Amino acid sequence: MKAKIDDNMLDVLKELANIGVGNAVTSLSQMLGEERINMDVPVATLIPLQDVPDLLGGGEVAVAGVYIKSTGDMDLTILFVLSLDSAANLIKSLLPGANGEMDEMGTSVLVEVGNILTASYLNALSMMADLRLLPSPPQLAVDMSGAIISTAMAENYLIQDEVVLLRTTLSTQERRIDGNIFILPDSDTLGKTFTLLLGSG
Amino acid sequence: MDNDIIKVKIADLAVKREPGIIVTIGLGSCVGIALYDPVNRIGGLAHILLSDSAQFRGRGTSINKAKFADTAIPFMAREMERIGARRQHFLAKIAGGSKLFPNNNISVGEKNVEAVIRTLKEMGIAIRGQDVGGNYGRTMRLFVDSGKVLISTVGKGEKEL
Repeated sequence: MKAKIDDNMLDVLKELANIGVGNAVTSLSQMLGEERINMDVPVATLIPLQDVPDLLGGGEVAVAGVYIKSTGDMDLTILFVLSLDSAANLIKSLLPGANGEMDEMGTSVLVEVGNILTASYLNALSMMADLRLLPSPPQLAVDMSGAIISTAMAENYLIQDEVVLLRTTLSTQERRIDGNIFILPDSDTLGKTFTLLLGSG
Repeated sequence: MDNDIIKVKIADLAVKREPGIIVTIGLGSCVGIALYDPVNRIGGLAHILLSDSAQFRGRGTSINKAKFADTAIPFMAREMERIGARRQHFLAKIAGGSKLFPNNNISVGEKNVEAVIRTLKEMGIAIRGQDVGGNYGRTMRLFVDSGKVLISTVGKGEKEL
């Protein structure tokens, strides 16, 4: 089934993202110890596939990306992307005494944060929309942002030349962590999902 | 903006007569295919996302030829011929097709590389250089005056093909 994506659909997706990301940020705030975390209202957009790799400053910038694929009633890809500086600051915040390097401990911290953020997001989505969502174990890659985003898209065999993208940026003042959460719903399952959500095709 | 540098996006391709550079950045599981006619000094670079267009046909959407290995390479060859290249001179250099996320069962990158090699073979175009696989991303630059291809990475240095 091919979903016809309209503004109405984007609004619903945005609302779902809002709730999901709100939950995720609360979890992150608890991990970091009551720290205030700023979160932008998620943006839901339909953008040309070709422009996606440039979303994070040029495509060649090295970033840390945690990738999670969720299947079930709706196929989603979730990417939690941090600049290398932010990744180092996040590791240092959660692992006292660490130098912030991307060693075994450091990478497992990032994977775990990705895991918790994603689980909170998916729980909220699952509860609100009554969808069964089955996330895969998170995976980390440290590489060019364009390579990370395009690989995540290719893993989904994206058919359309435009993709639905939900994006939230979050930042902490004290520890200087800036992150991006990208959610790529599989366009093939969007139609199915909206039938479930809204009770009509 | 420098007219002599053409940027190829994802699921995109460009062809050019010398001089200048065609570049595509951030190849992960995607594959970059450089075709070059050294006699006429005409080059082309494609950045494909997926291996096979067949499974996406007949869905009511028109196909972006540059997105798939099996459609991008023949299309790029024709575009090069249109600006004066001759197919019997063509040689190819390919890069990308890596597996950035190690635990995924299906390797899109591997499938992409296989499809590119198969398509080039069917077209009778020899592969003169390749830098494929691994678990890291690549940027690919084709120098149209010489046919030289430069691969750069994050933390893994540069390589000439």
